[in-house]
Amino acid sequence: MTGPFETRIAAYITKQMPTATKVVVDSLARISGGASRETYRFRLAWTERGQSQERKLILRRDPPDSLIDTERRIEFEAYRAFFGSSVPVPEMLWLEEGDGPLDHPFFIAAEIEGFQASPALLWAPPYLDTHAKLADRKWTILGEIARADPTALGLHKIMAPVAPADCWNRELSYWEGVLDADEAEPLPIARAAIRWLRANPPPPPPSLRVVHGDYRTGNFLFDTAGDIHGVLDWEMAHLGDPLEDLGWSFNPVWTFGRDLAGGLIPADQAIAVWEKASGQKADPAALHWWTLFNCIKGQAIWISSARAWIDGGNREPIMVYPPWALQNAQDRATLQVMGRL
Amino acid sequence: MKPDVPAVLIELAGLVARNASPDIPPADRAGALGLSAALLGFAAEQWDAAAHNLVEENRSIRRLLGLTGDDDDLRISALAAVNAELRTALIARHATVEGVDPEMDAAIWAELVCSTERRRIAGAPV
Repeated sequence: MTGPFETRIAAYITKQMPTATKVVVDSLARISGGASRETYRFRLAWTERGQSQERKLILRRDPPDSLIDTERRIEFEAYRAFFGSSVPVPEMLWLEEGDGPLDHPFFIAAEIEGFQASPALLWAPPYLDTHAKLADRKWTILGEIARADPTALGLHKIMAPVAPADCWNRELSYWEGVLDADEAEPLPIARAAIRWLRANPPPPPPSLRVVHGDYRTGNFLFDTAGDIHGVLDWEMAHLGDPLEDLGWSFNPVWTFGRDLAGGLIPADQAIAVWEKASGQKADPAALHWWTLFNCIKGQAIWISSARAWIDGGNREPIMVYPPWALQNAQDRATLQVMGRL
Repeated sequence: MKPDVPAVLIELAGLVARNASPDIPPADRAGALGLSAALLGFAAEQWDAAAHNLVEENRSIRRLLGLTGDDDDLRISALAAVNAELRTALIARHATVEGVDPEMDAAIWAELVCSTERRRIAGAPV
């Protein structure tokens, strides 16, 4: 099927809304940023039971090649599982896993309007004064994700099972495999870190939890009062050790050069907030392991972006930005976490 | 830097030319050109010191590994290829000295710290 993108989206939605007529998609605009999915916002208008209605929606479509390989059904179901809970997420509407309707798999969700996601805004007024509250919300929500029972959420049926004692090895082996497959140049610092991680594994978590997989400043919608209205980018969600998420939030590349966790508050304060909300203790040695692990995961993501560009699967500038801007910074972050910098 | 700078610059040249067309949606143009500008800035920052840093690093790693020789071909692509061979050898050596030869282990870590100083860009978060 060919034709304007809006028409194709409208045709798809028409099939999902059998009682709707006069379905129109307009005001389509691509949202810049995001190397793992193409993101668009648009207005949907339709008539139902004689009444004209409209809604602002988001479409997230797989690109031709991405910096991460993920199952969008898991992402979709993770959003659905937390919708309406204390973890704010957008409402998921439709998931399409085939290539037919829009050339690549995609999902459509309600837009959470009127808030910001860009970390760059946080370092200037009016957001500067909100950091303490924003950080409290950020790590409280992460603690609530860690507190949630994946079985009660139904996510144990969607996400791959893992034995608690194997959480670390599964994740490390996966991301080491990504480095093996995608590195375009030798990475002596990452390789040394991997040797250390294998020699010093963390204890198993008390119980398996949902791991968001990319919980950091920049992946939630915030306002000028320091509140959070939507946690985004669940494409790497999985079952695992909740300290994995806490460690990712402490990856030094997410300090934005401010020497604070997430660029917001000292790490010990963030840990205290997380422990209170999660009802769990963050064992310092285990958290250190997961923080270093996340330096490897980060590096694997950045070099995968370079690989996707080099192999020609995706020549968007956004694919070059992560390796050029963050690969060396991630090496320095690894040195820092290992006490070598 | 990977992808290699010349290949990225060629791609950016095409992208800038495409975005000169008046029928590109403004939001798409802004996204493409904003990122392109950032990448051009990175490339400019690395340009002057790129060959010097690779020669310096290759010499340093050769010293650590007890190798002789020097770089004859000073094209950045040639220097980077040699650098990749030397860093591969450094990884192997590092794995063998850990817990066995603290002095060599410390020397390798010191070189790795220096390697990140050479590659550091302005505004990097770490």
